[in-house]
This record gives sequence, C-alpha cells and structure tokens, in this order.
Amino acid sequence: MPTLAVSAMDAVADAASRAAVPTAHPADRHLLSRFSYGVTPAMVTDMRATGGSMPWLNRQLTTSRRDGFADSLLDWFPNMAYSPQVLWQRHQSGTYLGWMVMADLARWTLLRRIYSNNQVHEVMTDFWSNLLHVSAPADKPWPWRIRYDAMIRRHALGRFDDLLAAAITHPAMGCYLDNAESTKTQPNENLGRELLELHTVGVDAGYTEDEVKQSALLLTGYRVDIRRTWNAWYSNTDHYTGRLSVMGFTDANSYPDGRVTTRRYLNYLAHHPLTARRIARRLCVHFVSDDPSAALVTAVADAYSASGTDIASTLRALVQHPEFAASVGAKVRTPSEDAVATYRALGVQASRPTSDYSFANAILYQTQAMGQRPFDWPRPDGFPDVAECWTGVSRVLNSFQTHFLQGGSHYPDQQVVFRTPASWLPKLPASFGDVVDHVSRQLLARPANNTLTAAVSTRLGIAANTRIGSAADLPDWRMARILSSLLDTPAHMTR
Amino acid sequence: MTASIPVAEACSCSDFRASRRKFLAGMGAGVGGAMVTNLIGDAFQQVAFGATAASPNIVVVLSLRGGADGLSMVVPHGDSGYEWARPRISVPKESLIARDTMFGLHPQFAPLQKMWDAGQFAAVHAVGLPAPNRSHFTAMEVVEDADPGSAERCGWINRLVGLSGGSDPAEGVQMGGAVVPTSLYGPAPVLGLNSLSDIMLPGTASEAVPHRRSLDQVWGTARGSLGQGVRSALDVTDHLGFLAQTAPKPQNGANYPTGNLGDALLNTATIIRAQIGTRVVTIDYGSWDMHVNLGTVQGGAMQAMVGELAQALSAFFTDLGTLGNRVTVVTISEFGRRVEENGDLGLDHGYGNCMLLLGGGVKGGYHAGWWPGLGSGKLIDGDLAVGRDYRSVFADVLASRLPDISIPQVFPGFTPESIGAMTRP
Repeated sequence: MPTLAVSAMDAVADAASRAAVPTAHPADRHLLSRFSYGVTPAMVTDMRATGGSMPWLNRQLTTSRRDGFADSLLDWFPNMAYSPQVLWQRHQSGTYLGWMVMADLARWTLLRRIYSNNQVHEVMTDFWSNLLHVSAPADKPWPWRIRYDAMIRRHALGRFDDLLAAAITHPAMGCYLDNAESTKTQPNENLGRELLELHTVGVDAGYTEDEVKQSALLLTGYRVDIRRTWNAWYSNTDHYTGRLSVMGFTDANSYPDGRVTTRRYLNYLAHHPLTARRIARRLCVHFVSDDPSAALVTAVADAYSASGTDIASTLRALVQHPEFAASVGAKVRTPSEDAVATYRALGVQASRPTSDYSFANAILYQTQAMGQRPFDWPRPDGFPDVAECWTGVSRVLNSFQTHFLQGGSHYPDQQVVFRTPASWLPKLPASFGDVVDHVSRQLLARPANNTLTAAVSTRLGIAANTRIGSAADLPDWRMARILSSLLDTPAHMTR
Repeated sequence: MTASIPVAEACSCSDFRASRRKFLAGMGAGVGGAMVTNLIGDAFQQVAFGATAASPNIVVVLSLRGGADGLSMVVPHGDSGYEWARPRISVPKESLIARDTMFGLHPQFAPLQKMWDAGQFAAVHAVGLPAPNRSHFTAMEVVEDADPGSAERCGWINRLVGLSGGSDPAEGVQMGGAVVPTSLYGPAPVLGLNSLSDIMLPGTASEAVPHRRSLDQVWGTARGSLGQGVRSALDVTDHLGFLAQTAPKPQNGANYPTGNLGDALLNTATIIRAQIGTRVVTIDYGSWDMHVNLGTVQGGAMQAMVGELAQALSAFFTDLGTLGNRVTVVTISEFGRRVEENGDLGLDHGYGNCMLLLGGGVKGGYHAGWWPGLGSGKLIDGDLAVGRDYRSVFADVLASRLPDISIPQVFPGFTPESIGAMTRP
C-alpha cells in the first residue's frame, strides 16, 4: 500500500465526516459508562438532547424511556410467561425443563442489557440482583426465579426498604436459603444469618449466634410446597411466637401471623445505620472504585438514610461526590459486562432465535466460556465486584477471544446482523490513523489516542500516515482486526 | 479460523517441556540453561530455562466450599455423642470403611480404599480456625488470607510463591473456575486458569508476532490488576501455549467423573506432567453447604458429593502414575457443621472439621490424638471443638514437601503444633 501524506483537502473532508460521530466530553462519557453497559453514539445523542449527563441520569432515574424492541424480547422466550406451578408441570412432563427456563432468563437478561434504552434501570436491576443473590440455575428456587427477577425490576429504582421486604419474603429466596422449610419446631438458620451478614448490617455488626437464631425464628412462617405444587403460603402454625430481639430490634411477636412483625423487622434492618454503610459501600465499589474512601461511603450512606432508603437520592449523592469524577477508568469490566459492552459497541442486531446457534441463545455460552454466565454464581454473596477477582489468565484470554470472534462477525453469527466493514469507514481518502480514530469514536465513544493508533498500526502493519484511498485498501478482515484491536484495550475493558 | 500462537521462537517446545523453568527477574546469567529475553513494555524480563527449583514436589489444595461436614466424611462412630445427635442422618457404623475403634470413612470413599490400605491417605480431625466463625465468607477470608492482624490483602499461597523472588506465574495455579480465590491474591503473579485450552491468542499464525507486539504496546505499562493480569496472560501464551494444542488425555486408564472437579484434576495432572515449575495448585469443589438434605448413605447431597470427590481423586492419582509420589492433595473447608442435625435432614454452620491428605509424603491413617469429644460440655455452641489449628496441617505438609519454604513467612506470627501426618524429608 502506498504511503502518502494526506492532502489538506482530504483532511477537511475527513474532519467533516468525523464530526458526524457524536463523542461525549470525558466527564459525561464517564457517567454514561458507569451507568450503562457501554456508551454508544445513540446514547451520546440522547444525552446531549437531554442537556448533559446529570439531566440524562435524572431522567433515567425517574422516567421510563420508550423501549419497544427491548420489551418485545420477552416474545422470544415464551416459557418465561408461565406461573411457577405451570413451569413445574411442564418440567415434570418433560415438555420444557427447568434448566432451559433458567437459560432463557439469563439470555433475556443479557439481551435487555444490550438493547434497553433504560440502561440505568438495567444496571440497578443487576446490582440489586447481585446483592440479594438467588443463584440460577439452582435446584429449588428455579420455578420462582423469574417472578423474583420481575420483583427486583419493580423495585430497582424505588426504595431499599421495600425491595428488602419483598426479596426476603419471596418464595425464591425462601427456597434458596431454606426459609421455606424452616419452622418454629425445626428452625433453619440459613436465611436468618445471611439476611444480617449479606443483605443488611454486615458480618462485623456485632450480632451474636443467639441473635442469628432469633432472626431465623422471626422469619418462620413463609412456606413453599417444594417439589409438589410449589404453592407459597404463610403458615401461622409454623411461625414462632414469643419475644425476640435482634440488633436492637425487639418485638413481643405474640401473633400467630408474624407478617407484620417481619415487615417491621426488615424495615428496621433496612434503615439501620450499618445497613446504610454496607449498601453505600457496595454502591461505591460498583460505581466508583474497588477501594472507595471512608468520606465517600459516609456521604452516600448519609444520603441513603436521609432519604429513607430512596435509591435515586442515594445515587445522586454518589455521582455528585468529587471522588466519582476522579475515578475515570478505575473499574474493570467483569466478563459478562465485557461481553455485553462488546455487542453494544459493535451494534449487532439480534433477531428471534431459531436454534442454539442463534445469537440470542449462543451469547449465553459465550459469557459462560468467559467465566460469568448471568446469575450462576454458586453462593449467596453474589459475584465479586472487584478487579482482582476477574483478571486471571483465562479471563483475559477469553475476553480477547470474544472480541476477535465478534469483531470478525465469526461467532455467534446466526440470526444476527453485523454492521458491514465498510460502514465503519470515514469518508475516503483518509490516513490510516484517521480511519482508526473514526472507528474508535463509533466503537468506544472516544477519539483514538496515540497508544491506540500505534497498537492498531502494529497489529496490521500499516503506518498511521498511510493513505487509504478506497474501501478496497482495507478488506473486511483488516477492518475486523481494527475492531478487535480496539476492543482489546483498557478503553474497552474498563468502564 | 483461529490458531494458537507458537511458543517464543528462541526456544523449542521440547527444550521447554524437558526443563524446569523459572522466570528470574534481574538475576542474570549463571543460573544455568538458555536465557530468553522477553520485552514487556519498558521492562526486560529475563527468563531462564533449565533452572531447578529446590524441590520437585507439588501441593494441591482442594477447597471444599460451603462448609463440608467432616463428621459425615470421617465418622467418629466410637464417640457416643455422634449417633445421639443425628438420629436420622448419621452414617451407620457397619457401613463405614477403613474402620478402627474410633473412626471410619464414609462408604463413598471406597474408590480410595486402595490408597488408604497403602498408607497414602490420612485424615486429620478436629482442626479449624483458632476461634469459631460461622460466616462462610469471613471464614474463607480468614482461612485463605491466613495472616491475622495484617491489613494487607494477600493470600497464603501468594506469599508462598512470592518467596522465591521470581515472577513465574506458573508457580501458583488456580485450576477450574474463572475467579481467582483469596489464597492466591497478592503481589506475586499467579496463573488463574479455567482450562488449559484457554492458553491461546486468537488469530492466524502469520499474524501472531505483530499481534503480540501490538498487545505489548497497549498493556506494557497499564496499571492495576488488569494490567498485571494481561501481562501474565501474554507471558503464559508465550511459554505455555503448547499446553493448549492438544486436549488433555488421562493416562494409565484413569477414568475421571464428569464435572468440574474431574476436569480441573485432569488439567492439573497435565501441567504436572509438563513440568512447568508449578509448586501449588488450588481447586475449588463445592458447594457443601448442606442445610437441607445432607441425607443418608442411601441418598442425598453428602453421598453424591463424597462419591464424586473420591472417584475424581482416585482417577487423578491413577492418571499421575509414579509421578503421584511427588504430589500431595490437601482438603480444606471454611468450617465444619453443627453436631446435631436440624429438621431438614441437614446441618447448620459449625466449627471443628477434618482435613484429608493424600499422596506423596503422607503418613496414612487417622490423626486425632487431640480429639475433644462430642459429649455434653465438650462442644462449643453445639459444634465440634478445634484441637489443632488448620495452619498446623498445612505447615506439616509444607515442611515435608516444600522444605525450602519458610513457614513463618507463609503463616506470619503462627507457631505450628505437631500434627505428625507427614514424613520428614
């Protein structure tokens, strides 16, 4: 390929075409990146139309955007519409097995993360789902797991006290942490303990083993008819009555129907200052950095308490703290965040799946191969949210593999439309460096800096000042390498 | 569509395979063997082939996540408190194997009976943390960090592999699973591998060199654990890429059970045979959190999981053949479970537990001279007490198998008690 300086005319033409790709100011891109699964040019346009990243966040927190395509995705997975009872009947008759329903839930979730216009809602649904984790697939909770997901979605931008009460008394949680089988004569400590340790005040709160037992006794009564009808009911006869005291919450607990007392207990825990700190810290670790300062955590915890556990108010305090703005690039994407961001960046358009090889179905196997299938963390503490857990050799190489396979439209490639390689090009002729810059603006919502340009140049053996006269100078495989090279960078692998 | 990148041109596979390897930062020549220079960003890392480690032995730490019930695995049938506390789920005395007057093994350990009879399988009972901690997550952190009083986040296996002063990520390997466990966190590079087949960069062979250079340009100086992780990954593709080129094959007719544990042990046997300088491998196997349906010897979670464990370990040692003499497997779980059964054929969180030792250097049999007993007044909040700190068991293994390792540096501030389950070198 001839190496020629780009003429002044070409530079003007190129600048005009580049201007057509909206890129955000770094501070705006930072906020959009933390509160989405990947910043796209369309998001930047939307953000600008709203008046900036803070107004954009406020609107995402308060108003649901039109979401026709993302909402229609449910039609692709018709089994998700059945009740737990019918899901079980279909499982038993061999019509549609439980693990298939749980695969559908994970696929639908990935697709919503890729395509929903309500990105903040998706991000917060993911966050709470991981805090109040119920593994899927898992043996006992699965028939109720889709209802559990819907419950989290309802409360994801509401108040934590409502969310906690709905989650802890939900049949899926009861099945997962054994409360559905815990009775006054044969109490099971599992949920009573994890409620304190994982969902609210935290392990250092100072509760005793006796308080764990009392926590479990208070929660008795929420039953599920496991492996028979799967009906859920409250059983007065199984509920323990008698005075209980946990973490400063004391109640005579004298009524056989303990639901009002339970709600009071959960409300008390949701508003406890130690819960405020714990939730605030989890939010800071997710949205700011792996090691947030005590001052930041305190500011966010104060907003949580002052607002009566209001989620939107808490998040506003978080992004308004200077530590948020200073944390650009400090969060490493987990493998499934990386996968979803890759599909978004490449603008892949999925259609209704027809087989396991279809994009909408196969992305589940792709995230599994990368080490993080949605919901499959096997313990109640949820997926880890810090970089040191997600930077092993397999994780890195499997991410590179996915960037290569998707950047080259190789796999999964059924029932999906990729952008044509030529569609990534700026107006030609242009220098190779300007081509890389133009692709970077579309793919990563930022201009290509010297490091990115040099890396792509090295990979393809094309100097940055090489003149690209027409699309024929960059055959499809070369554009595929430009795309995967840009995805294999900190700009894409952090958020 | 994809091909693995070849190993660095400067050394052939066979040289590499045949030699022990250490990445010796800044030590220069005189170690013996060929030197290969590998540019990573601005830092030259000197890689020596042919260096020999102080000991060729390998320790495999098998973490039974979720709190495995040691009383169902190594059953104290001679303690009357056992059956009394578990009217429905106790393992019947007559079903136990390798039974003596006090203990016996769960019958699902049958595939390991031969190793027991050969004196290569030991059970150390009533061991655990110095103080009860019935939180899964805190107990795991404490067990794996193993440096109480230090705020530094660094796991004991990371400290161990860091002692050599080298930067060879293959010394400490997590096999199976994508998440690096606490025991391996820390400044020394380690190898977190789901499967050996992952060790490749995508792309055609003709692109391999510019591809690799391009990644060096981007990641050479990238900060944080992602930068370190990518540099380790690139190192590993350079030097261990050959391991991905053929699927691991069990040797000696070994028959691994289907599942993650069998896969991880098969991959582990393969890297042990490849002699890449690995000293410690960690594998997770769980969950053992059997609040419900721990079950009986007829059915339930315990009999299924012990069965898979025993079959997988039996296959592993069959696969290794005589190399098995160099390999010691140690199990650890964050806590034992309540002595008394709950209403759901299960057990809530407890305290004292057992650890199992198999393979090279093991003095077979039961080691529990400190047995605290299950009688009234002997339990701690309803749980088996701890007679020996779990670190003493690891120290016993390290002193026997990796004698160059300084135990005070691996377990700071801890003085091991005598266990006697391992031979001395």
